[in-house]
Amino acid sequence: MSPTAQTGVVDVADLDRQNGTTLGRILGRGTVGQAEEGSDGKMRATVRIPEDELVFEPGIIVIPHGGELELTLINDDKNTHCAVLPSNGDYQFIWLVNHSKGKANLTLDGPGYYWYGSRTGNDEGRGLTAAIVVQGDAPGEAKIDRPPQPQP
Amino acid sequence: MATDYVDAGVAVDNSALSHLTGSAPPVVKGVTYDRILNARSEPHNWLTYYGAYDGQRYSPLDQINKENVKRLAPQWVFQAGSVGLHSGKSTYSFEASPIVVDGVMFVSGWDGWVWALDARNGDLLWQYRHAIPFDVSLCCGNVNRGVAVAQGMVFVVTLNAHIIALDAETGKKVWDQTYGDVRAGESATVAPLIVKDMVIVGSSGGEFGNRGHSDAFKLETGERVWRTYMVPKPGEPGSETWPDDGEAWQRGGGNCWVTPTYDPDLNLIYYGTGNPCPDFDGAVREGDNLHTDSGVAIDADSGEIKAHFQYTPHDLWDYDSTMEHILFDLDGQKLAAHFDKNGFMYILDRTNMQPVRVAPFVDRIDWGEVDEKGNVTPKIYPDAEGDPVHFWPGPAGAKEWTHACYNPNTELLYCPVQDVGATATRRRRDFKESIPYWGAGVAVDLEDMAGSISAFDPRTGAERWRWSNDIPMCSSLLTTGGGLVFGGEPTGEFNALDAESGDLLYQFQCGSGHHSSPCSYSVDGRQYIAVPTGWGAWTEGFLPGMLGARQGSALFVFALPED
Repeated sequence: MSPTAQTGVVDVADLDRQNGTTLGRILGRGTVGQAEEGSDGKMRATVRIPEDELVFEPGIIVIPHGGELELTLINDDKNTHCAVLPSNGDYQFIWLVNHSKGKANLTLDGPGYYWYGSRTGNDEGRGLTAAIVVQGDAPGEAKIDRPPQPQP
Repeated sequence: MATDYVDAGVAVDNSALSHLTGSAPPVVKGVTYDRILNARSEPHNWLTYYGAYDGQRYSPLDQINKENVKRLAPQWVFQAGSVGLHSGKSTYSFEASPIVVDGVMFVSGWDGWVWALDARNGDLLWQYRHAIPFDVSLCCGNVNRGVAVAQGMVFVVTLNAHIIALDAETGKKVWDQTYGDVRAGESATVAPLIVKDMVIVGSSGGEFGNRGHSDAFKLETGERVWRTYMVPKPGEPGSETWPDDGEAWQRGGGNCWVTPTYDPDLNLIYYGTGNPCPDFDGAVREGDNLHTDSGVAIDADSGEIKAHFQYTPHDLWDYDSTMEHILFDLDGQKLAAHFDKNGFMYILDRTNMQPVRVAPFVDRIDWGEVDEKGNVTPKIYPDAEGDPVHFWPGPAGAKEWTHACYNPNTELLYCPVQDVGATATRRRRDFKESIPYWGAGVAVDLEDMAGSISAFDPRTGAERWRWSNDIPMCSSLLTTGGGLVFGGEPTGEFNALDAESGDLLYQFQCGSGHHSSPCSYSVDGRQYIAVPTGWGAWTEGFLPGMLGARQGSALFVFALPED
């Protein structure tokens, strides 16, 4: 029986693991990682699938602006997963057998954020759904001609 | 003991793992402005959003006619589906009008999808998907209304307000321009229009208090040619219709989220513009609020506003006028027909946008009165803070964005009609960029609704016939040389009516509601009718009584049996 079931109190940490309060890990959890921008203008980041956690870690990758992201994916799990990733042109698919490492070249607009996940079984629901956050603004010529407006 | 990782390689396109051809024949290379100008002279094609610049949504094809339409049958179905978590997961809807060029169909879906299909059998030739941010602001669902084609390219807007050009043979991107600010709540859903060497697009986001605009870009390069705002700045013509001591114009609305029509002789592009912002709280924007809720004629070369007519001055009911202006000549007059959300049909002189005739086209109108010259007397509107006010038509209008049509043989206009009211309660709020800015709580009626496909005589404004439905009709109509009117129901039926009598001649259940624009084309002498189906979008606004209906994502194509 999970701690929540015993006490009736939900601990956030208990939502952040497999077979805790929930069956899987709820979405939007994990750590935040920052992509590095190379001298070639390409941004680079790495995510891993730790053993038996059914998550991508970091759960959120932040890139400073729209453009090309070279994402390295490492499966440290003892089960096979995959990733279906957003990119302008088409989704990018990579199969990640146990203990494998690969790359995805993604082109994304900013600002905004995108989900990606493993489409094997219900990996997405168990926790293998993660986000790429793109910072930035629309270019000046696209903005509305008006004075600065109040912000939320 | 550590071991080397297995090399998983590099991620591949999803398309590489599907049974698609990967290329389309070079049919779009020869699509020029001149061919689009004369689109109706090649009736086997559907070269532009409305079939032709005049917006009549009329196909001269007559193989399918009143006598044989009962034998119509689906020939193929394209199923789109969806992948992973995407924006507007509960509001996606298949709302496009397909484009067909010499046997190849180009059609857009929700969430950045564009497909090239073999128009004879539905085989997928190529696909493109623009990655759409999950958190993009969408007032009215994850939708796209279609593509434009010319000079070897396919043009489409994205929900995050880009206009992109794709190679029509491969689906690969040629150029990409951002033309809206997603941080300001802007988005894009409109089907582009090709005019001369330009691609014309417009803004979406009228529920977020932005300042609506239309933009023109060079076909070849994506270089901007002009931008025209529909709400004037202080000192510009029309600015006197906004408070001169405030900031209301900055958030004034007037978006251009439906494809305009175009008169090449007058060199005028006819836009319908969207609601003012906030939708229901007029006290913060005293005045008529030009050019919201208007028909606006703009010069194609400069973008300059040449003439306008405002259907609902100082709108307090969310009565966008974005819906089409159908261009036609009758008795020597150059006319434009417009069915407005406010429940009235307007026949305008399109040389100066002045009304020739105004008549109601729905049974229940109590928000106000409009005389034969288009002068408005408001009657019922949200005024006092916290006071619920019920009015007809509701904010979805007596006709939504979906399109009417005109048949030059019958000389009748055909309109999908929605007869449903709503209650709005004014609730003032401060403006904050990217946050919905309605100024009211709104509930559209769940019961006591009706709909129809209705035929009108543009000479008199009189209703000629009506095919009645127990719920509103909210898909575009298509009329043909075979004497037919096609239109889908929210409950999934695709109908063919007799254009002269309104008799129902054929019906097929597509499995999900219609909120799109059908077209007709032919390949090797065989006529087809194509219609995307897939219920969704802002159902809570136009037909909440069908909010729980089945979503879908299929494009059906019908023809007569080959024997």
